Amino acid sequence: MTAHRATVENLSLRVGAFALRDIAFTVAADQILVILGPSGSGKTLLLETIAGFNRPDRGLIRLDGEDVTAAPPEARRIGFMFQDYALFPHLTVAQNVAFGRRFAVRGAQAEPVEALLERLGVAHLADRKPKHLSGGEKQRVALARALAASSRLFLFDEPLAALDARSRDQMRRELKEFLRRSSVPAIYVTHDQAEALALADTIAVMREGSVVQVGTPSAIFNEPADAGIAAFVGVETVVEGRVVAVTDGVARIAVDGTFVHAAGAVMPAVDSRVLACIRPEDVALAALPQRGSSVRNQFPARVVATEAVGLLFKITLDCGFPLVAYVSKQSYLELDLANRGEAVASVKATAVHLIAR
Amino acid sequence: MSASVRAAPRAAHPPRGLALAFAFAAALLLLFIVLPLAQLYASQSEASLARVAAMAEVRSAILLSLAAATATTACAALLGIPLAYLLARMTFPAKPVVEAIVDLPLAVPHTVVGIALLFVFGRTGIIGAPLEHWTGIKFWGTAAGIVIAMLYVSVPYAVNAARVGLEGVDDRLEKVARTLGAGRWAVFFRVTLPLGARGILTGLALTFARSVSEFGAVIVLTYYPMTAPVKIYDLFLQSGLGDSSAMAAIYLAITLSLFVAARYLFRERREAESMPAR
Repeated sequence: MTAHRATVENLSLRVGAFALRDIAFTVAADQILVILGPSGSGKTLLLETIAGFNRPDRGLIRLDGEDVTAAPPEARRIGFMFQDYALFPHLTVAQNVAFGRRFAVRGAQAEPVEALLERLGVAHLADRKPKHLSGGEKQRVALARALAASSRLFLFDEPLAALDARSRDQMRRELKEFLRRSSVPAIYVTHDQAEALALADTIAVMREGSVVQVGTPSAIFNEPADAGIAAFVGVETVVEGRVVAVTDGVARIAVDGTFVHAAGAVMPAVDSRVLACIRPEDVALAALPQRGSSVRNQFPARVVATEAVGLLFKITLDCGFPLVAYVSKQSYLELDLANRGEAVASVKATAVHLIAR
Repeated sequence: MSASVRAAPRAAHPPRGLALAFAFAAALLLLFIVLPLAQLYASQSEASLARVAAMAEVRSAILLSLAAATATTACAALLGIPLAYLLARMTFPAKPVVEAIVDLPLAVPHTVVGIALLFVFGRTGIIGAPLEHWTGIKFWGTAAGIVIAMLYVSVPYAVNAARVGLEGVDDRLEKVARTLGAGRWAVFFRVTLPLGARGILTGLALTFARSVSEFGAVIVLTYYPMTAPVKIYDLFLQSGLGDSSAMAAIYLAITLSLFVAARYLFRERREAESMPAR
């Protein structure tokens, strides 16, 4: 098996009033690139352009170094996974998987259909029609079908979006495991940050037709490039302040009469205005200030609101500026946050991310 | 609120009011459809049926009708499916005009269709005359004329039903097929056509049914050789209700059994598709 590689260079495309602008990235063989963006950001348009359904106005699409920008979809060998995987309803599992075979390049070495069915654990379903398959089985058949057509890039357009949470988690784990071991790079489009976090090696955040930030999941979630990305990836607290001092790699920022400390590799200039970003899961709550603690930010706060959010509790605080914390049920009960009017919020300086204004 | 309405045990109440009134109207209508045909059969004697069935002219007329309708259905498929596909998949400025043209034959009286076709396919028609001169093919008083007349009045059914069938084919399946290496023609024949088959077959069944029952357009263009409806009319004029109704009963039995067989086959097919193959 050859290790494949996909590259998109300065891709631009205008469709009516909407435009993709200067999109660029590379995906290596065992990598999953997740394109994360709200609906209407151009994710699907980008995927369909990579697949060959739209001709870009400018830019290049390369697969294994070969320029395929002008090639029709049937000549690209790209496996496209739609929502629910779009198996052919009139064909059996085996016929679905064998579909691309008749169009394959003569002499191309490809794994036999039987072997693919076996490898993906769907050999016993060979004679079934797709409507009788579970979600996970459909996913495996679609992957086998794309592999049988010698795909050298997988594109996923929110394939799990219509499923219930349980099967979604299960299928996502299976998919990640499969892609990890395969030699085919994958681009996965989603609007769901949890999905992006679970799958991605690299995340590209898309907004209004442009990729606005590319990075590891940790970089995207902890160091968003602007306030819009911060809000989209779930940073609940974004407050504006002025840098009053920088000492020993720690910036002291005045925010509404309170001081926030931030540590990081790149420090802003003194007197500059910054946005301080704090993720809700980085905020710890206690009944009293922690004496002798190394945590630089300790904010006496008033509890404004509490709300159960999934398995956690979302606590909205006022510590001179609005601050949001997520705490476990145990902390919630131990601190009696439902009735307590006040608490001390602590945030490590390294957990405060600064964005220059 | 709607959930509680839906949960109400409707089945527990006997039907009354609106349901009863509508059922009465429906029964009246069904009776109106079935009664004349039932009466047609009730008034036949075995002897007259056998006598009429033995007439060579009756037999050849029925065979001609079935053959011409079959040829018409084939032409409708060949010419109608491409148009149905364009209407189902493409948007273009003149689309409403094209849709109106497709439906046009439904609004034209069938005798008018026959007369209009004479201007084009008749002995002096703009296509009929040169075609006869160069190839010897005539549309006036021939089987070809019968097919032309049948096609004109029945092709809207083929196009419209095929269009509905093709529109129902998920375009993501076509896209997936292309990413798997299939060109546009292969996608059409391997994905779009089989998945739109039910609509297409329904349209072709309607086309066939419309063709075997066509009278007005056919009789203007081609009185001889006689199709079954023309021969029934001829018998009616020549020898009255007796022989013509006997032939009508025989012809109806044949066309209706074809119709029932087609419905049955479609249902078999549908069930076969939904059954897991083992």
